[in-house]
Amino acid sequence: MTIALEPAVHGDRVSLLRVLGPAHVWALGVGIVLVGEFTGWNFSADKGGALAALIVCWIVGLLYTSVAMIDSEVTSTVAAAGGQYAQAKHIVGPLMAFNVALFLVFAYTMLEVSDAILLGDTIVAKAGVDGLTHNSFIAATIVVLAWLNYRGVLMTLNVNFIITAIAYISIVILFFSVSPWTQGAVLKLNELVTPGNALPYGWIGVIAAFQFGIWYYLGIEGTTQAAEEVRSPARSLPYGTMAGMITLLIAAAMTWYVCASLMPWEYLGITYYPLWDAGKLTGSPLLENLLFIATLLAAIASANGCINDAARAWFSLGRDRYLPSWFSAVHPRYRTPYRSILFLLPIALAFAFIADLNQAITFSILSGVLQYTFMSINIMMFRKKWPLGSIRRGYTHPFHPLPAIVLFCLCVVTFFAIFLGFGSQLIAMVAFYFLISLWFHFYRYKFVRRGDQFTMPWPKPQGY
Amino acid sequence: MWVALSYACWGISIVLALWMLYDWFKVDTTYSEEVLTSSREGELEAVSEKHRI
Amino acid sequence: MSRYTPPVQSKAGQVFDIVVVVVAIFVALWLPLKLGLAGAAKSIDALETKTWEALGQNPTMASIWEKLGYTPETAHDIIQNRFHYIIDWPTLIIMAAVLIGYFVFLFRASDREYRDVINEKFEDK
Repeated sequence: MTIALEPAVHGDRVSLLRVLGPAHVWALGVGIVLVGEFTGWNFSADKGGALAALIVCWIVGLLYTSVAMIDSEVTSTVAAAGGQYAQAKHIVGPLMAFNVALFLVFAYTMLEVSDAILLGDTIVAKAGVDGLTHNSFIAATIVVLAWLNYRGVLMTLNVNFIITAIAYISIVILFFSVSPWTQGAVLKLNELVTPGNALPYGWIGVIAAFQFGIWYYLGIEGTTQAAEEVRSPARSLPYGTMAGMITLLIAAAMTWYVCASLMPWEYLGITYYPLWDAGKLTGSPLLENLLFIATLLAAIASANGCINDAARAWFSLGRDRYLPSWFSAVHPRYRTPYRSILFLLPIALAFAFIADLNQAITFSILSGVLQYTFMSINIMMFRKKWPLGSIRRGYTHPFHPLPAIVLFCLCVVTFFAIFLGFGSQLIAMVAFYFLISLWFHFYRYKFVRRGDQFTMPWPKPQGY
Repeated sequence: MWVALSYACWGISIVLALWMLYDWFKVDTTYSEEVLTSSREGELEAVSEKHRI
Repeated sequence: MSRYTPPVQSKAGQVFDIVVVVVAIFVALWLPLKLGLAGAAKSIDALETKTWEALGQNPTMASIWEKLGYTPETAHDIIQNRFHYIIDWPTLIIMAAVLIGYFVFLFRASDREYRDVINEKFEDK
């Protein structure tokens, strides 16, 4: 595949490049998420025990299957950079779109911060040198990946595809090298997860575990951000997203099985590197080093995808003048939203230096869940305003409205789970979104051109 | 070795950050703001995707 | 309906808006950290006797802890650091009210703005 990168100012317009295929969509989605298997999901064991971590793995998997189905339908129809932002703008309205874009930017930037902290801490733990801090590794991760993103989307996602595939294969290798079919040799599930300790907090622990169960899959919906750069969005986006979801369900199940069979839940719940620890506990230096490298690669892939997604959401806000239009510049040579990438870089760096991993993850999860709540209502409105048959959809998800209802109920449960332990943070975040919404609605919106926001060649929505 | 790696990381970060700043400055002074911010949402859909049945 | 022409924003106004957003982001994310509101509500249930049995660890678990470099003394603070799930109803009600209020405001204000968009978009034609 050769794409000439000559200064491409055709006519008097510069736009993002349409160069990506389904594999890139998969790499973007799974790349962002896979780090969740290397850290983060295991905090759900802390909140509810090992069995709770498995239960939420499957139930939250159901939540995300709904997310992937709903998202595929809407985004294969509204194919624009910004993903859920452009969906909200066409279906719900400008203020909702503004909030959704902020959810996206926060969820991805905080996820990027978590990835960088994870990478820094992993290297420091491996080195074991006194006085070595994680700051230099954090800075290098964020700056190098921002640079890669700055230089072009195709290379960025080609890199992501390769490192995500390596990280994924290492989980598969770990799974098969501990002879998963025989318990007792390496794996000791029935001695580590006993009827007495499987649910140490009872069922309320299972509900509480939902919060970090989100981390098994958070970010898969980011595939839609690539909509404007995919060659055939109506086909590639549903395909890449669904393939990604299946990949992740398999990885999550393998990760739980291996980790819960190797570590007591109290340790599993607090370690930052469950898979690397699993590698160590097998006693094989080869596996230990493989999982060490895979942890780093997964963190890099995730941060890389996050920079890509956050920058596109921010770029879209500028393009519609929801924020100063200065942000909507496209690099004439690399065809990337370069000013948005540069703007978000110091913000990510600052938080990576001041926040800790657990907190950054919670910020990210909160913004994610707010977004899923929106998605469940959004799809209902989409089907009502443009019923099947009124516009051409790239993909139509089955069993409507069941996935939307399931998604909404699971979001409510997750909010309750966040309340159990992180309630004040949730209230602070929502207060922020509320204030910034007032600012947008009563002040900033006056700079926005009304009719221009609706860019899809659709008929008038029903009921208006 | 790890300490050396740490310094190398700082070095790479600074070099790449400076390069991006330089390139940003160069682009912003070479091209007009109208060209840079000329991307429009849904431009290609209007041509390539027909939303009629 | 006449087309709405937005005012042109000055350079200074654009810079000011960017500053407002950045400050808001930092306040929202950094203030909870600073006030110590962030983080899990956990506390340690201290035990007198620090042995693997007292900590509820069977021999398999104990051998893994030891492989990871822990003794009953060092593992005590990890194992006994527990969540205490107490449903604090006033906080829960405040949280629910804040969330519902926020979403109701979002959808209602969005709908008002959306009607303008649709009117302008579909009446030009």
